[in-house]
Amino acid sequence: MESSAKQVLLIPCSGIGKVHGLIAREGVYRALEQAPEGKAATMCLALLVVGDDEARQLVGKYPVITVDGCPKLCACKNAELAGGRIARSVRVLDVLKEYKGLQPGTATALSADGWKVVDALSSELLAEVRVLTAPGEVA
Amino acid sequence: MMAETELKVGIISCSGEDLPEGTISRLATRRVLEFLRPGQTVTLCLPLFLAGGEGERAFAREFPTITIDGCGKQCAKRGTEAHSGPVSAALVVTDLLPDAPRGSGRVSTRGTDMRDEAAVREVAQVIAQHVDAILADAPQAAPGETSGASCGCGCATSLPPGVIEVAGQSVTIPGLPLILQQCAQDGLIADNADASERLVQLVSIYHPVPDAERSDYATALLAAYRAYLQSRHASR
Repeated sequence: MESSAKQVLLIPCSGIGKVHGLIAREGVYRALEQAPEGKAATMCLALLVVGDDEARQLVGKYPVITVDGCPKLCACKNAELAGGRIARSVRVLDVLKEYKGLQPGTATALSADGWKVVDALSSELLAEVRVLTAPGEVA
Repeated sequence: MMAETELKVGIISCSGEDLPEGTISRLATRRVLEFLRPGQTVTLCLPLFLAGGEGERAFAREFPTITIDGCGKQCAKRGTEAHSGPVSAALVVTDLLPDAPRGSGRVSTRGTDMRDEAAVREVAQVIAQHVDAILADAPQAAPGETSGASCGCGCATSLPPGVIEVAGQSVTIPGLPLILQQCAQDGLIADNADASERLVQLVSIYHPVPDAERSDYATALLAAYRAYLQSRHASR
């Protein structure tokens, strides 16, 4: 039987132009705080942009969940270009569809509504981490 | 529409997710774009150099560009120069703030404190100084020549300011109307010390609040917030 993944990499886009990038970034941080110890980690997306060898090895070794703020999907595309094993590509825009009318804040600071979206996103990420690291799961 | 003629400076942040200095690089860049040099600066998400098209990759060829990296790996500088073009200045947070921890040492902006604000302000000021130096050295564009200086995402858009009286002095606060609006939407009650402290915390993200004047700012902001709530109520 194939073993479960020891660890999952969560990589947000951290887009700097819109609030969606900040939500992606904070959603990953929140999920990392709540994930079982050693089961989830993040890495600097910029390392993949510059082709860092160690970063490329990590995304090839562990399943990756990317979190993107906008449809350009920078996190997903960069991870794929680096040879990453994309287990799931999460889009903040899809999460926001459940929260129509909310004002999540700005690319600099989230409002209380923005943090609600972050918590919802992190719950989704956490559930995915648990599935991917569950005993018996092929990852 | 009138053509833009002024040169703008590009700022590319590494925004490294795995270290607090990456968060400082991101917030300092935002601070320059929104409050210190709005209208003179523009940015682009670093990962777009690979995920985007030729338009994105032309960024550093179109704008004199400053990179701001969290650590000595200098991914923003290396990535920009590899995919877009040479940079005009390359700053590193760990060089600008040599004493660790830088800020509170947190990566998330949830629960940021005055140490984080101070770190962001200091780095942002250095970026702004480099922006000024680049613009001072740059030849002026010819009338009608467009800089094309927007990536179209609104990242270089400045926020409307508000004016408060702090200890008898008029002080302009970038984004104050939006801050007050957001506090009202969040249900912040304007009758206790927690409210004034919350207002100071939010404003200090965008505007330097000296420790010695924090109490004066708290009083002025609470008064402004009360006035805002009254006008909001009256308009209904």
